[in-house]
Amino acid sequence: MNKHRNNHISPAFYLMVVPVAALFFLLHTVPFLKGIFYSFTNWKGYGNWEFIGFKNFLQFFKDPSIKQAYGFTFQFALSATVLVNVLSLALACGLNGKIRGKNLLKALYFLPYMLGTLIIGFVFNFIFGNIIPGFGKMAGIPGLSVNILGTSKAWLGVLFVTVWQSMAFNTMIYLSGLQTVDKDIYDAASVDGAVGLQRFIKITFPLIAPFFTINMVLSVKSFLMAFDQIMAMTGGGPGTATTTISMLIYKRGFDGGQFAYQSANAVILFLVVASISVFQLKILEKREAKVN
Amino acid sequence: MKEKEKTNWLLTILLSVIAVFVILGPLYITVVIALKSPSDMEHILALPTSLHLENFSMAWKLTDYPRKFLNTFFITSINLVFTILTNSMAAYAIIRNKDKSRFFNLMYYYFISAMFIPFNVIMLPLVKQASAFHLDNIYGITLIYIIFGLPMNTFLYSGYIKSLPVALEEAAKIDGADTFQTFWSIIFPLLKPMSATVAILSFMWTWNDFLMPLVLLSDASQQTLQLAQYVFKGQFSTQYNLAFASYLMVLLPVLAVYVFCQKWIIAGVTSGSVKA
Amino acid sequence: MKMKKMLAVGLTCSLAAMLAAGCSDSGKTSGKSSDSGVTHLEFFSSKMENVSTMQKLVDKFNSQNTDVQITLNSPADAGTVLKTRMTKDDLPDIIAYGGDNIYTELTEAGILLDLSDQEVLKTINDSYMQMVYDINGDKAEKAYGIPFAANASGVIYNTDLFQKAGVTIPETWDEFIAACEKLSAAGIQPFELSFKDSWTILPSWNSLAPATQPEGFLDAKKEGTATFLGTHEEVLEKYSKLVNYAQTDFMGTSYDDGNRSFANGEAAMLINGVWAVPEIKKTNESINLDMFAYPASNDKSKNKVVSGIDVMLMVTNQCKNPEAAKRFVAFMLEPENSQLYINEQFAFSPVEGVVQEDASVAGLAKDIADGKVTDFVDHYYPNGYNLSAILSEFFLNKANGMDESENIAATLKKCDEQYDILNTR
Repeated sequence: MNKHRNNHISPAFYLMVVPVAALFFLLHTVPFLKGIFYSFTNWKGYGNWEFIGFKNFLQFFKDPSIKQAYGFTFQFALSATVLVNVLSLALACGLNGKIRGKNLLKALYFLPYMLGTLIIGFVFNFIFGNIIPGFGKMAGIPGLSVNILGTSKAWLGVLFVTVWQSMAFNTMIYLSGLQTVDKDIYDAASVDGAVGLQRFIKITFPLIAPFFTINMVLSVKSFLMAFDQIMAMTGGGPGTATTTISMLIYKRGFDGGQFAYQSANAVILFLVVASISVFQLKILEKREAKVN
Repeated sequence: MKEKEKTNWLLTILLSVIAVFVILGPLYITVVIALKSPSDMEHILALPTSLHLENFSMAWKLTDYPRKFLNTFFITSINLVFTILTNSMAAYAIIRNKDKSRFFNLMYYYFISAMFIPFNVIMLPLVKQASAFHLDNIYGITLIYIIFGLPMNTFLYSGYIKSLPVALEEAAKIDGADTFQTFWSIIFPLLKPMSATVAILSFMWTWNDFLMPLVLLSDASQQTLQLAQYVFKGQFSTQYNLAFASYLMVLLPVLAVYVFCQKWIIAGVTSGSVKA
Repeated sequence: MKMKKMLAVGLTCSLAAMLAAGCSDSGKTSGKSSDSGVTHLEFFSSKMENVSTMQKLVDKFNSQNTDVQITLNSPADAGTVLKTRMTKDDLPDIIAYGGDNIYTELTEAGILLDLSDQEVLKTINDSYMQMVYDINGDKAEKAYGIPFAANASGVIYNTDLFQKAGVTIPETWDEFIAACEKLSAAGIQPFELSFKDSWTILPSWNSLAPATQPEGFLDAKKEGTATFLGTHEEVLEKYSKLVNYAQTDFMGTSYDDGNRSFANGEAAMLINGVWAVPEIKKTNESINLDMFAYPASNDKSKNKVVSGIDVMLMVTNQCKNPEAAKRFVAFMLEPENSQLYINEQFAFSPVEGVVQEDASVAGLAKDIADGKVTDFVDHYYPNGYNLSAILSEFFLNKANGMDESENIAATLKKCDEQYDILNTR
């Protein structure tokens, strides 16, 4: 053991990091800190403001529209995460099977990821409003004879589109995970008599655990911040039925002159997202360690 | 004992049918409506009676497509190049010195933790900050994209670099190379797979991003393609054929890139994640 | 391999160069600089419907005034964009916006120039100037903005369909319902509603509320001595009854689809304002339509045309050349130009002597000329008050079969809650 380790770090390393770190501090951290500061004021974004301490945060916990937005966002994020991951895993297993035209199919299923949430939102907005009702009427299904985006089930429409688009990325991650599983393991397993679902649960799934971790953390984080597709399809409506936290911050923060109040909202959102992500990582990494 | 390579036809057909209806369906609708005239809309899903290409030329003019395309192209390509160059370098410096120096360790957690800060928290103050520094324009937003990529890219690159044997760099050092030279001639070329991943993620992010341009780019002449669609929808949404032609024109460049680079793209996404 | 080191340095330099370029470039694009004697001013317009007309007027001014060049900027979601720009301290030179609570905010923020000394004010109809004073932050009698166009909200109807069913224009609430019944009996859908775009829920409220709410409610509510609960039940009851005469999917139909259906003759009436007329005509130029005042009450004297200032012209205090800006404002209000605007946009002019003669809005012209107008109540609600979302929920509940009186009580309670939150900030 060389106790006299050379701890001299070449100045070049500092040059690689310090300039971008400085810019990062200026453009990311400072606004973040400012945002936190503003949440203790009543600033509208322009004009005069005063320091009001924790008033915004107290109001936050009493405000019914906040409760609704958080409630809906969690409901949405949870449903989306479960659906996307279950379907992606299933699809990945399918694509990993002995099928023809694998590359073409992979290419097709990955396509939605490339298309951007806003435009896809617009396209589906049209489909839900002008095409589905036609089919619904023909098939005699009352639920589908109207534009679903105008009913209390509007969130299902948004969910559908979100899942449609998000599956692509997660599927590919799972697929690459499945491909790291050595075929010999499967052969050994079938010798022991483990097939199908049993094989999946006992063998495949634990081996792809790290990929599960990545997907879960990324999914939850991004669904908690859903914005684009909602802007494109319902604008947060009907009423406030599909207003997510991000929508609330954008609309009320800029439009409603609630700049400071929504900054408080955003700070709380950050704490929520950060703790959930850290929590998830801790749990899932423990599981990974157990498996290994 | 090799298993016989029996094609699972049932699965193949199932996957293909689903792909056609669920994935290609909406695209078919987009294309068909973009090519129709309002009178053709009676039977929405039928093929157009004639190809109304004038929808495209009108949308081209009305959304100022060339300018928006150039804006988006500028932002995306400059961002791509500089992100890969600067972020990889920063990640390298950090990961190689993280255990030796408190400073670099701090930098590592500083950047990574920023991944959990939702854009909304900084959106409102960022707008004010950006305008104070005259960054609420194309150049500014490009810079902001490059910098904002640091958290995720530090995470991705450092995970990858960790797996590279230090021996290579030590050999280079013995040969007299300094830090920068070591990075550019040895490490950077080895980062190709991860750089591919970062490139794709950056490209997708900036090309499709809507929120940041919405709050930062107020000048119409500087807006991006996505933002233009949002604007367009307000003005011309009665005319679905025009609107869809416009959407298609925004989707086509991405589709073209995808058709040519698809294998490379998917490989980049998957291999990058494996190494991470 | 010195090249690679130089590359690194070069990168940092180019990043810096981009920053510098950004600094200098943004100066040019903000439109506030003047070079070689030509003043460039930015004209920010909030409405998407009148873009082409505004551009015509701007082009006309630019050709007549080579020393002042105006650039029109008409973004989507203009309210949000304007507020974002206020946050950035990057105000346009001239603003065209509606006479609503955003205007009030602007006056309170102290960023508008006082135009009370302008000659052109003498040509403006008093009742519209009074509206301006009423919506000024401190109700001061100062012209922080000059009315450019007035709108009217009421009921747009298809004259052919009315004739087919033998229906005459209703002047009281009961006649209104009777007309709906007659239309239904003749197999004609009475209303086309487009509640997916929740702002279209407001026109009926804006017509029903002033006719049925107690005197002085708006001021009392601001002072906290009145509530929606207990005073506005009639509004929701009547509105709810009306909606029964609309299409099944009224919650899922968008503004554009609704206009299109109406234009194609699928319904007899559309509850909206004159701004929708150009949109309808885009789909079907040959449609025969007209408008009548919303008969909210059985007391004919209470049924007025809801008319407010659709477009006001303002000059901000960041304008580097206010004289040039004022010249543009005066230009816009010249009778010839005002006439051009109202002809193309089916609006009404606040300029004395400029008359709206189009048959499509003839039904309202007389009432407006007679001064039988009342302003939009939602212009007096606090900024950020999301009445359309509250009402959208009311109708969603209705569509889901909620008990009517429960629904009304819950909705009005919400109206009060949300108003009070915003009123105290």
